[in-house]
Amino acid sequence: MIDAAFTFRRGLDPFDWYFLGAILAILSIGLLSIYSVTTANPAMGLTILVKQGTWIGVGVLAFAVMAAIDYHKLARFAYPLYGIGLLLLIIVLLAGKSSRGSQRWLSVGPIAIQPSEFVKVLLILVLATYYGTCRRTGWLQRVVFPGFIVLPGFFLILKQPDLGSSLSFLSIYVVLLLAVGVKTRAFGLVILCGLMLFPFAWGGVWGSLHEYQQERIISFVNPNYDPGGKGYHGLQSRIAIGSGQLLGKGLHGSTQTQFKFLPEGHTDFVFAVFAEEWGFLGSMLLLGLYASVLLMGLEIASKAKDSLGALIAVGVVGMIGFGVVVNIAMTIGLAPIVGIPLPLMSYGGSATVVTLAALGLLFNVKRRRLSLL
Amino acid sequence: MKRNCSFHDRPNRSRNRVVACGFLVLFGAIFIRLVFLHVLEAKSLADWADRQHHRSIELVPTRGMIVDRGGSPLALTVEKPALYARPSVIEKPQAVARRLAPLIHLPADHLVALLQQKRKWIKVKEELSETEARAVRALGIEGLHVRLDPDRVYPKGPFLSHLLGFVGAETRGREGLEFQYDALLRGSPLRLQLDRDGHGAVISLTRSNGRYSRQGYRLTLTIDEVIQYIVEQELQAAVQRTRARRGIALVMEPFTGAMLAWAVQPTFDPNNVSGLRPAEWRNRAITDPYEPGSTFKTIIVAAALEEKLLTPETVIYCGEGRMKIAGTVVRDPARLGWVTMTEAFARSSNVAMIKTAHALGAQRVWSYVRKFGFGEKTQIDLPGESRGILKQPAHWSQRTLASIAIGQEIGVTPLQMIRAIAAIANGGWVVTPFVVSQMTDMLGQPQSGRPTWEKRMAISHTTSQIVTRMLESVVREGTGRRAWLEAYPVAGKTGTAQKYDRTTGRYSWTNLIASFIGFVPAHDPRLVILVMLDEPQGETAGGVVAAPVFRRIAERALQHLHVAPAPPKIVRVRIEAKAPTALNVSMQ
Repeated sequence: MIDAAFTFRRGLDPFDWYFLGAILAILSIGLLSIYSVTTANPAMGLTILVKQGTWIGVGVLAFAVMAAIDYHKLARFAYPLYGIGLLLLIIVLLAGKSSRGSQRWLSVGPIAIQPSEFVKVLLILVLATYYGTCRRTGWLQRVVFPGFIVLPGFFLILKQPDLGSSLSFLSIYVVLLLAVGVKTRAFGLVILCGLMLFPFAWGGVWGSLHEYQQERIISFVNPNYDPGGKGYHGLQSRIAIGSGQLLGKGLHGSTQTQFKFLPEGHTDFVFAVFAEEWGFLGSMLLLGLYASVLLMGLEIASKAKDSLGALIAVGVVGMIGFGVVVNIAMTIGLAPIVGIPLPLMSYGGSATVVTLAALGLLFNVKRRRLSLL
Repeated sequence: MKRNCSFHDRPNRSRNRVVACGFLVLFGAIFIRLVFLHVLEAKSLADWADRQHHRSIELVPTRGMIVDRGGSPLALTVEKPALYARPSVIEKPQAVARRLAPLIHLPADHLVALLQQKRKWIKVKEELSETEARAVRALGIEGLHVRLDPDRVYPKGPFLSHLLGFVGAETRGREGLEFQYDALLRGSPLRLQLDRDGHGAVISLTRSNGRYSRQGYRLTLTIDEVIQYIVEQELQAAVQRTRARRGIALVMEPFTGAMLAWAVQPTFDPNNVSGLRPAEWRNRAITDPYEPGSTFKTIIVAAALEEKLLTPETVIYCGEGRMKIAGTVVRDPARLGWVTMTEAFARSSNVAMIKTAHALGAQRVWSYVRKFGFGEKTQIDLPGESRGILKQPAHWSQRTLASIAIGQEIGVTPLQMIRAIAAIANGGWVVTPFVVSQMTDMLGQPQSGRPTWEKRMAISHTTSQIVTRMLESVVREGTGRRAWLEAYPVAGKTGTAQKYDRTTGRYSWTNLIASFIGFVPAHDPRLVILVMLDEPQGETAGGVVAAPVFRRIAERALQHLHVAPAPPKIVRVRIEAKAPTALNVSMQ
């Protein structure tokens, strides 16, 4: 089943090197920023850095495993795996560990895992399998049936509550929908645009609401966000990014973090920390790395051997792309702060492992496109 | 390969392109936004970042005390509770105002208006009483703060007011010593650089300036509280008795220039200067030149003696007591005929002085007047000093030389006048007067208050002794007899100056300045005293009005200083065998 020999028999071509290099660069940048944050918080110490390093190690393993197993074999187990995933989500709701007003984690020994992250990859697999085998092109088959696959997961995650993860979950479905195409292409476009422009449209819709309505919505979605006052975190994040100016303040130079004005510097606002310390040039470099990974992902999708591989690739790109865009958009004030981690950079075991596993799948698709089978 | 199986086998590449374009559009938006943040708004955001974690705080020291030479406080700073508010913190201004109004005795409407102002920090009421402060504290309302504000207090009220001056807003010196020594009295504030974190905790605290103090410098004055009290008492009594518009009395140590007393009547209360006009607080002893009149003759006589033009025994013809100068007539109080210089001076003869001045000539008169320090600032450590009015000889008219000889057409300040007489008393030295003897920092480290200014000689020691003897005869047998003391020899000169009337352009016979300047004991002088009464009513002559004030001040002050009595010896003047010389002056 594990045919690593097959995957890696032929050496890596330049494309693979660029792909892996970009991922490693982003991972390093993430570790560097987390390291910078640790000095501001001696209580946290280096433990989070060590933990994140460990998670990346685990993630690299997951990457290797996902790259090695033929995705066709994986697809065979897609439905049962997804079923297990949904079951885990139900267990989370019943017996999960709650923290800061939401119940997202399952304790497994000393570690807490976040099933909503894992379910995302399973969703990619199951939807790719579904569209890959579905021969009919009607509305029901294209939109409604897969919808029944997606919605239980979506609501289970929303119920935790975790608006960010549930939107990210939904985005996979929408991106795949667009990729397989529906009769009216516009329909897919509308949904994509609606989803992608959601952050931008937010301003208009959100701004028209009364203050107490906004607060109600925020406290419903995320009860303990923004304790210091409305918009405080977003403002501090923008101050951090802007004060980085062109060249940044250097490692540990982030006064916003060092003086604890910017919260969650190692998780949701890791981009702000990096941007403050490395300036405009740093954030351009990072943005470029993310863009190249995503474009390479789409390149892999276009050249995939079969529709299953292509759909898996598009799904992975959609999942990571959504995370990158919405996270950065919220740190720079283009989107409301919904709590989506920055893929590959934010501290967090489940997200790191899952993102790397998903990239492993992508790599898997790439390696098998020239299969002689 | 199953390339023929429509899109199921391979998703349409164009669809992937749509996804790619969607991402690129979004990345583009992020890029544009980052350009805004990182480049266009970078400066202001960076400032914002600095501002919110970095503060610069200034801790202002307590303003230093001013004490007399015995250490008795004349000006000090006390802390009085004042009520401040932070309107942004107060949630219900109306309710707070209603509760607060009766406690601090202010109308509620006024308070509501104050508490609704969009300011960070406002002063609601200053100088709360203790009960008010306690009541407000007991309310315990957030956003109301009772803070101790420094308040400058002059415990002796109007005592020495013209010298001390007073402070204005934020206890900054506005007049007098408070102004002159403002920087030292305030001391150097402690500047703190403060870094605080997002939770308000202070991360680091650095001092940015090396020298600072919790207290400003303490000024020790040369003023003797007791002598000052005597002088103020006597001057006030004299002003009341003579119904003069105002009076000035100064007491100086002749050898050092230290001022022992400085009284200007009427006084004001520096504790409450609101509503006062500058005319009421102006320190007229240095700001307002006056025409000194006969007291100035001392300078002319000293110059003539120094130039060896005459001796005290030189006889001079004062004629019928009148003299024509440039079309006007100058009169003497009495017909003296042929008299010695000593007698002419003692009787304050105008004619004799004008003849002496003419014998000296304009240039020499001018240079001696300058040598005695007229026409220039004394450089005393007080603000607003006038140079006086002294024209260059080139601009003198036909009459000017004669006028100056009798103390007209020249403006001098009382301080310049007392300094010139001090030069007679101390053997010829023109000293720099001063009022601050010592400045002490908070650790008690003294620092001399008196800069080392040059003192210069105006006349020789011998000349000064001769002039002193002539001044003694003024008191013994001349116009200044009422300044005579039984226990101490007195040297002094009277002055009755006509005030120049601007409306008529003539010297007035009714508006006069009566003055007396002298020193005691004459040959071992401890005090130089100037008494000046502006426009006394009734009796107006300096010898009648001002001399008795001098006498009382001198007597009481010498007793206070425990100066051993040394009754004046009646020196029998030996008549020399040779005939006395006469002073011949050609008036053309």
